[in-house]
Amino acid sequence: MNKRLDALVIDPSISASPLGHNVHTASDVQAMLQVMGLHSVEQLFEDVPAQVRIRRELDLPPALNEWELMRDVRAMANMNASTLSHANFLGSGAYEHYIPAVIDAIVSRGEFLTAYTPYQPEMSQGLLQALFEFQTLVGKLLGRECVNCSVYDGATALAEACWMMCSATGKRRVVVAQAVWPEYQEVLATYLLPRGVTVDYVLQDAVTGLADIAAMTAKLAGNDIAGLVLQTPNAFGVIEDVAALSNVCKQSGALLTVCVNPLLCGWLEAPGLLGADIVVCEGQPLGLPLSAGGPYIGIIACAKPLERYLPGRLVGRVHDLNGQLGYALVKEDREQHVARDKATSHICSNQALNAIRVAVHLACLGERNFMQIAEVNVANAVMLRDLLLALPGIKLLRTGVHFNEFAIELPIPSIEFCARMKRIGIFAGIPLAESLAGHQRGLLIAVTETKNMADLEAYAKYAKACIDKHCEGGA
Amino acid sequence: MAATSPSQMITDLHRPGAASDFFASSHHQSPARPAKPQFARNRHAIGLPEVSEVDVVRHFTRLSHESHGVDNGPYPLGSCTMKYNPKRNDVLARLPGFENAHPLQDTDTLGGVWEMYERLQTMVCEITGMDACCLAPAAGAHGELAGLLVIRAHFERLSHRRPVVLVPDSAHGTNPASAAMAGFDCRIVPSDLKGRVDLVALKSMLTPDVAAFMLTNPSTLGLFEDQIVEIADAVHANGSLLYYDGANLNALMGIVRPGDMGFDVVHVNVHKTFSTPHGGGGPGAGPVAVKAALAAYLPSPVVIRKDGVAQPDADRPLSIGKMKSFHGHVGVLLRAYGYLRTMGAAGLRQASTHAVLNANYLQHRLSHMLPPVYNQYCKHETLLSGEKLNTSARQFAKRLIDYGMHPPTLVGAGCVYFPGDLKSAMLIEPTETETKASLDYQVGIYQKVFDEDTHDEALVESAPISRKIARIDLKN
Repeated sequence: MNKRLDALVIDPSISASPLGHNVHTASDVQAMLQVMGLHSVEQLFEDVPAQVRIRRELDLPPALNEWELMRDVRAMANMNASTLSHANFLGSGAYEHYIPAVIDAIVSRGEFLTAYTPYQPEMSQGLLQALFEFQTLVGKLLGRECVNCSVYDGATALAEACWMMCSATGKRRVVVAQAVWPEYQEVLATYLLPRGVTVDYVLQDAVTGLADIAAMTAKLAGNDIAGLVLQTPNAFGVIEDVAALSNVCKQSGALLTVCVNPLLCGWLEAPGLLGADIVVCEGQPLGLPLSAGGPYIGIIACAKPLERYLPGRLVGRVHDLNGQLGYALVKEDREQHVARDKATSHICSNQALNAIRVAVHLACLGERNFMQIAEVNVANAVMLRDLLLALPGIKLLRTGVHFNEFAIELPIPSIEFCARMKRIGIFAGIPLAESLAGHQRGLLIAVTETKNMADLEAYAKYAKACIDKHCEGGA
Repeated sequence: MAATSPSQMITDLHRPGAASDFFASSHHQSPARPAKPQFARNRHAIGLPEVSEVDVVRHFTRLSHESHGVDNGPYPLGSCTMKYNPKRNDVLARLPGFENAHPLQDTDTLGGVWEMYERLQTMVCEITGMDACCLAPAAGAHGELAGLLVIRAHFERLSHRRPVVLVPDSAHGTNPASAAMAGFDCRIVPSDLKGRVDLVALKSMLTPDVAAFMLTNPSTLGLFEDQIVEIADAVHANGSLLYYDGANLNALMGIVRPGDMGFDVVHVNVHKTFSTPHGGGGPGAGPVAVKAALAAYLPSPVVIRKDGVAQPDADRPLSIGKMKSFHGHVGVLLRAYGYLRTMGAAGLRQASTHAVLNANYLQHRLSHMLPPVYNQYCKHETLLSGEKLNTSARQFAKRLIDYGMHPPTLVGAGCVYFPGDLKSAMLIEPTETETKASLDYQVGIYQKVFDEDTHDEALVESAPISRKIARIDLKN
């Protein structure tokens, strides 16, 4: 071939980069070419038209060695604040929880970490069983027996659940109680509108912050509704009356999807047991680090009749040809590699390793710890809430009962309040959108088991100082 | 036949009170019992097992022993790019400043995230020949959906009604599935006898209602689409856009770029090409990159550099919005960043060159047993025919398991689809991180199984015999 293409060949006597993972010696390459009767690797690329080839080196930064890389990325890590530099009271779908050390030890094992989707069940029984245990434990937790092997996150889980309701009913309209996380609302729009699904939002009760069941019931009269969607605790932190809405749905034949913080299921009855047909959650509170937003895990649990509408992988118990019980991916006729454009979803890669994290987390905690953590969360939240309500000018934003996250109304703009608290070293909460709170003084505060009494008292003390400072007009 | 009991489950290890007490502390006071909502019912028992910590560790360690990863041995699943996942990159994802950052912290407290994103976006654009990039999509299929929604938004803005997406018959199943999710109708473009896109058929299918043609190059058959310039010209002449499924990018880094071939939108599977671990099925990441004319529609966040400071671009009114909550798979993207920074330009080109060298070496050495379906040089993977086998490609693959090797991709065991009469083919992708010694060892195993297939069909039919369970036949 001509000279220009010889640019492809790398001087075999040197490694192309310090850590190029080049496993071949120069003599290996020569020997392999010789076996094939070739003189250059160029010949393997003759079918790539010269006119479209890149005739220069890619313009990338010079290669680093391992310690240079560590230094480079550590410098970027140090540009982030985190729960280590600040006392963190942020939630809204991602929470700071303690993560048992066992989890990282298990999911760092190369047999799990570097495996692919278990397409060859005979070779992957351990991975399949771990995923099956995830499905089983999560099914118990959420109160619905059919659990898939994960989708990307809580928001996409909710969007997929809405499509499940549409597929199962043949209808193309869902009614959503307005207080779902704002980001989830955006993802519902991204996923559902192009498919011709209409998403109707219903305002919450202005006093309690609860879903307006009467208004949602009225929507069902139209008879074109695939199902209802409720988030609990909702975007005000308020716990919804799942059973009441479930009764409404049962009478009208509409389906009900509930998006739940999985930790709530350690305190109150699981949404599945209260009649939700589909329960979805962001599984991050179940042993996943905050990690600046991901990777997390979307979980979908549903009633048996809806199983065939589930997106993604399902692990099931099967028999081998000797009748021995084992595990395999099952019901793949729903999936993209079989059904193609008729599949329930396009999802292929999922969050399997995080599913194992969840399984190990639940196994590690066990029943008693899980219930206790849920109780400590709500007790800590109540403690901080009462400390704050004792301060002048702070009110509860909505009266409904909360779990580990609650909304208050500040006497000053919440963005201003948070900026002041941040300077002191506290991530004080997440300002509520004006569209939800009705003004700019709403603040959503999350409190988990990671906080002790001193943390809560410090929050209240500095909150008072910040409000006072603001009112005095100080910096 | 009586079913034997399954292997021990974590719930079988339950002993009341056995779990570690996470609240044992001299400082701990038992919590107050706040009032529950009036309408709420107390939780029934969940049924979580109480297992001692050592039993939890031993249980899951045992399950890991009954699994197979790249760390254990060759994993030549075609189209999955199971290359070695450098351990150093796992460390990056666990650096405290990243691992403990909350996604909803103020933008100015996540400077390291935006800095890494801006650099990685730039590298992805350079490698793919694109102008703008969003790192948020969670996986390849998610990147496809994002790219197709970008295309949809583009034509909606132009008020062009183009409800159709074309995909080749050999496309990954995610292509038509993503197209359906983006609200498009799919039409299937046939392959020609050489395994390429049938150009005549494609041209006849390029009608004014076609928004895009989705193409994987090299194709799922392991072949470079050498008519790519004509394909791109035909697609663009029709006013349509060309979508690049990046699943097979590992063959081309530093050699030819999708953008230079005429593609308008591309996604990259970082858990394939950029070496982040597959984790038994995920999490991965699927950045989407586009040409300048489509940049405004990319999902959020897109990170820009303003006065030297990397930050998410807040002014993107035409964006298709959010693909998922928060900013994307930071922990995965950090690993991809580490890979690209340690490889450099020459390292990436060498990786692709050696990936193709390894695939062709295997194709050559196996050809007397498993002849290539298309008799030409392959790219990073090779499609081999099982027609000479007495048993079947499937049984052949199951017998490989007995020798500790993960089988190649087969129809029904992998995320690909082989069109027409290729149901008995197998797709082998060795990747560049297998040594010559490993490849020779693999050839030796294939030879053993091939000889068994010739002389002892019953043995091959009974495989696998070395595993905890025998063959599983699913009727689905």
